[in-house]
Amino acid sequence: MKFTYSWLKEHLETEHQYNEVVDKLTAIGLEVESVQDTGLAYKDFIVGQVLEEKKHSNADKLKLCKVDIGREKVDVVCGAPNVTKGMKVVYAPVGCVIPVNQMKIKAAKIRGVESYGMLCSEYELGISNENDGIISLEQDTEVGSSYADLSGMNDILIEIGITPNRQDCLGVLGVARDLAAAGVGKLKKREFKSKKGSFESPIKIEIQDNDICTAFAGSYIKNVKNVASPDWLQKKLKSIGLRPISALVDITNYVMFDQNRPLHVYDADKVKGKIIVRSAQDGESFKALDEKTYDLKKGMCTISDEEKVLGLGGIMGGESTGCNFDTINVLLESALFDNINTARTGRDLSILSDARYRFERGIDPRSTLEGIHYATQLILEICGGECSEIVLAGQISETLNTIHISGQNIVKRLGLEITDDEIILILNSLGFGAKKSGDSIHCTIPSWRQDIHGEADISEEIIRIKGYENIPTSNIRAINKVNKDILNSTQKIISKAKHFIASEGYNEFITFSFSDSKKSIFFGEVEKLKIINPISEDLDILRPSLIPNLLASIKKNTARGIDTLSIFEAGSQYSSTTPEDQINSICGVKYGLRISKTWRSEKKEFDIFDVKNDLLNVINHLVPGNKKISISNEAPSWYHPGRSGKIILNKKIEIGYFGELHPRIANKFKIKTRVNLFELMIDNVPLTEKKTTNKPQLILSDFQSVTRDFAFTLDKDVKSSDLIKAALNVDIKIIKSAEIFDLFEDKSLGDDKKSMAIKVVLQSEEKTLDENDINSLSSKIVEAIEKSTSGTVRS
Amino acid sequence: MVDFTKLEQDITNSLSKVTDLESLNECRIKYLGKKGEISLLMKELAKLSDDDRKRQAEILNILKNKTLSLIEEKTEELNDRNLNEKLSSETLDVTLPVSSSLGSIHPITQVIEEVVTIFGDLDFYVAEGPEVETDYNNFTALNTSEHHPARQMHDTFYVETQTDNMQNVLRTHTSPVQIRSMLEHKPPIRLIAPGKTFRCDNDQTHSPMFHQVEGLVIDKDSNMSHLKGCLEIFLKTFFETDKLKMRFRPSHFPFTEPSAEVDIGYTKKGNQLIIGEGNDWLEILGCGMVHPKVLQNVNIDPNSFQGYAFGMGIERLAMLKYGISDLRTFFECDLRWIKHYGFSPLNFPSLIRDLS
Repeated sequence: MKFTYSWLKEHLETEHQYNEVVDKLTAIGLEVESVQDTGLAYKDFIVGQVLEEKKHSNADKLKLCKVDIGREKVDVVCGAPNVTKGMKVVYAPVGCVIPVNQMKIKAAKIRGVESYGMLCSEYELGISNENDGIISLEQDTEVGSSYADLSGMNDILIEIGITPNRQDCLGVLGVARDLAAAGVGKLKKREFKSKKGSFESPIKIEIQDNDICTAFAGSYIKNVKNVASPDWLQKKLKSIGLRPISALVDITNYVMFDQNRPLHVYDADKVKGKIIVRSAQDGESFKALDEKTYDLKKGMCTISDEEKVLGLGGIMGGESTGCNFDTINVLLESALFDNINTARTGRDLSILSDARYRFERGIDPRSTLEGIHYATQLILEICGGECSEIVLAGQISETLNTIHISGQNIVKRLGLEITDDEIILILNSLGFGAKKSGDSIHCTIPSWRQDIHGEADISEEIIRIKGYENIPTSNIRAINKVNKDILNSTQKIISKAKHFIASEGYNEFITFSFSDSKKSIFFGEVEKLKIINPISEDLDILRPSLIPNLLASIKKNTARGIDTLSIFEAGSQYSSTTPEDQINSICGVKYGLRISKTWRSEKKEFDIFDVKNDLLNVINHLVPGNKKISISNEAPSWYHPGRSGKIILNKKIEIGYFGELHPRIANKFKIKTRVNLFELMIDNVPLTEKKTTNKPQLILSDFQSVTRDFAFTLDKDVKSSDLIKAALNVDIKIIKSAEIFDLFEDKSLGDDKKSMAIKVVLQSEEKTLDENDINSLSSKIVEAIEKSTSGTVRS
Repeated sequence: MVDFTKLEQDITNSLSKVTDLESLNECRIKYLGKKGEISLLMKELAKLSDDDRKRQAEILNILKNKTLSLIEEKTEELNDRNLNEKLSSETLDVTLPVSSSLGSIHPITQVIEEVVTIFGDLDFYVAEGPEVETDYNNFTALNTSEHHPARQMHDTFYVETQTDNMQNVLRTHTSPVQIRSMLEHKPPIRLIAPGKTFRCDNDQTHSPMFHQVEGLVIDKDSNMSHLKGCLEIFLKTFFETDKLKMRFRPSHFPFTEPSAEVDIGYTKKGNQLIIGEGNDWLEILGCGMVHPKVLQNVNIDPNSFQGYAFGMGIERLAMLKYGISDLRTFFECDLRWIKHYGFSPLNFPSLIRDLS
């Protein structure tokens, strides 16, 4: 909310400087968002009078003016069409900065003619969008006087953020009240004489639905003359960025910003019969003051007459009964609308208005009559006329809510020693009626505080005024630990995996949890993942997989000239939009060159064995110790069918996949090079309870080990894992390892044949193997492999 | 009688002339080989009388040892010379480039790990909740009713599924984890909940996805002074400065009462923010005492238990600590960015080693 310091001082008697007041505002919870010395920007602008005006010899549209600015007479070239001799103008001298564009005025030659300074439009001063001509001031304005003083700009504009609970501070009066409580001054009571109504209002008011509107006060004022608002009122509204319209409208706006009391004024002659406050009917429509037509629904609060809807209660008035300069008789409305209903209606119709903003936060019921009296008075003063007695439909509750609080509980909540007497003092300064009542404190809640319901709320009031800086600092380290583990097993696994994968050369990316349904169809059921209000069309679902966003990032990076990428993301993917269907996963992607051409190496592209290696390494890191890992060809459909694998842990756990991205998908993402990737299904990683910190006993043989190599001619589809398995099974005690060390295909072997060579390490734990043992084992190995693969040993 | 003096001179002379290992070996054979001069003289000794043999044997032994040590000296000298020659020929351009094989950890991960490390030390466990939430957990249970104005400030993403006739949402803050955790555990509770959050907002200073960390303490007597103490330790440790200044300001969140926002003191030097110096204030987090209604909603008696909660933006912490100026770059996936702002994977935040 915006207000000026001078406006605040109309309600607050204070000796303090504005900067002290500003600091206090923030300290009591009315956070200052900006402070602007509005006079500062205008301090150099002065009032001048055009003495002469003639056409520029070199430019049709420019005029040469001689301007009297009091201390001297200056030449100014001006392009405004409305500049005339004798006109009082706003003059910007050389050196002055134009607010709208921060341009500094310099003495300059304009088409060969010297110009000192500039004559300004409202637009250039940043006070309106009026830029068709320069400002023409009243003829009685004094030449040489300060424009800042004249325009009322010589002030401090303060903008504060009002949290949703502090509806009471949506008017300058409320802000002053809070400041007074905090000790920076005294609240002034505004005196005004309330003229008694001299007749009965000819417009009756009927509330049909008390739930949506509890009270509606009307004041009928006849024979008014709606004029432009007087200077003081116009300046006030302009000072907070509002555009003056006409006295009747301006007065209602002024009272709203001054006292947080929304009002509405109807052209009474356009009202047919009585005013009826009722719920709208389905199918009804209504043209509001913003010139838009709204379709209403049952439950919305309308102000109607006997023929039509006149306004939406608490939100916006209608065009049909709007006041203009011809208006003669008016009905002034001051009502109490239900906050929830107002919020719902405003949201359903997408209408933002100052009235809605206030009503949905809650309005002081007592402001209903105070506001209508004050506004009636202002209308009579400015527009003349005669007012009726106030007519009130519905009821304004006279009783105030009360609560009992315990000073001890306040102390316990705040951690601050404070006496009951001080609590009572603070509460009373805020307008609460607080007094001791036995062990507790009895509080009457002021009508303007709609946010106070319980002890916790009171504790905030106390500390707000006492000052948050007075809360001491206490130690929170407890002797007895509350938690056994800081991280749970899954969290540990994710953290370990991230660091390990990054140490394998992958860079961590974090992409949006949304993705593009069109590009995600390969990875899941996108229709089950829709976001109703996505930020953009290509982020319209929750991602079924980490892959699509990472693929999109490859594209972005290659566009930046990066041709090699190792990236990973650890995060959630979704199988539906229910909270339970969130899956933890890690995806690593390698794209481009494993080894780039350097001074000592030839370039080499990544292949699936790079990602297989990385995935197996991370699995070994996460699941140390004995385990059984098997690898099959059955990777999900987004992998290349012939170049991908699935890793099964301990015979049944699908722990991860690796392989080349399916070329069809790569194509869809417009990626031309092969992409190799792995996925680690974090939720499937077994959470092993550590039973012991001991490692299994280590048995090392001191007898010499022997290495033997065997090569076989095999059918092409024979898997290396079959060879290794066959070899190891010959004697699991003596055969320590078996590894593939050579693989090739050659015409000499036959078209669908290949050669694979295996290196076997033999070592006994009981003796040194002799020639006979070795030969016997060797022939058993050859026999076993030949039998299981139908291959033949090559000699 | 053999002229031993001459023989000794011969040996010394010929060894001094040797310039390579090969001729050294020839020399050795000439004197000490099976048929070498000294060896032959040794054999001759048997033919001499006892006295002569004794005397000559002594002389010969001295001569033999002297020769051996001369050869050894010479060998060393020649080896040394050879090595020096070899070394002078073995030079490389050591400035030729090599490449690093480590990847990097994202600043968000780093900051979350730092936060977890600090709060873990203060006995907070790490709780989690799903990113798709029920409207109830995200709003209603947190004392934010359907028509509460605060709810409209949240710019919520809605998804197509419902729970109890209310549209599910992408959680707008990490606070629903409070609800889930309190329903699951009885007090005392001390937790933090880092995670992704979502708001339907996308501009220079907003990202539709961002990260928060939530903190919650519920026990018999934790009050605002503990909240202050807790955040003071955290902020000083996180920003790695004891000079950090902290300011509590009243604010409003539907789920805390009293509520506060916390500012930290900073100054700007050039383009850099220096935390812990200067007189300007920067908002860093929101916090407060858990609202009694929130406790009631999770079946905890607010007359017996109380406590505090806080929440802050991970990106903001990262930006302030590591001088990252643009929020949106965190998710733009630019390799150059992650290589610049990322962290070594072998760097684990620790309070006994380094936090960062």
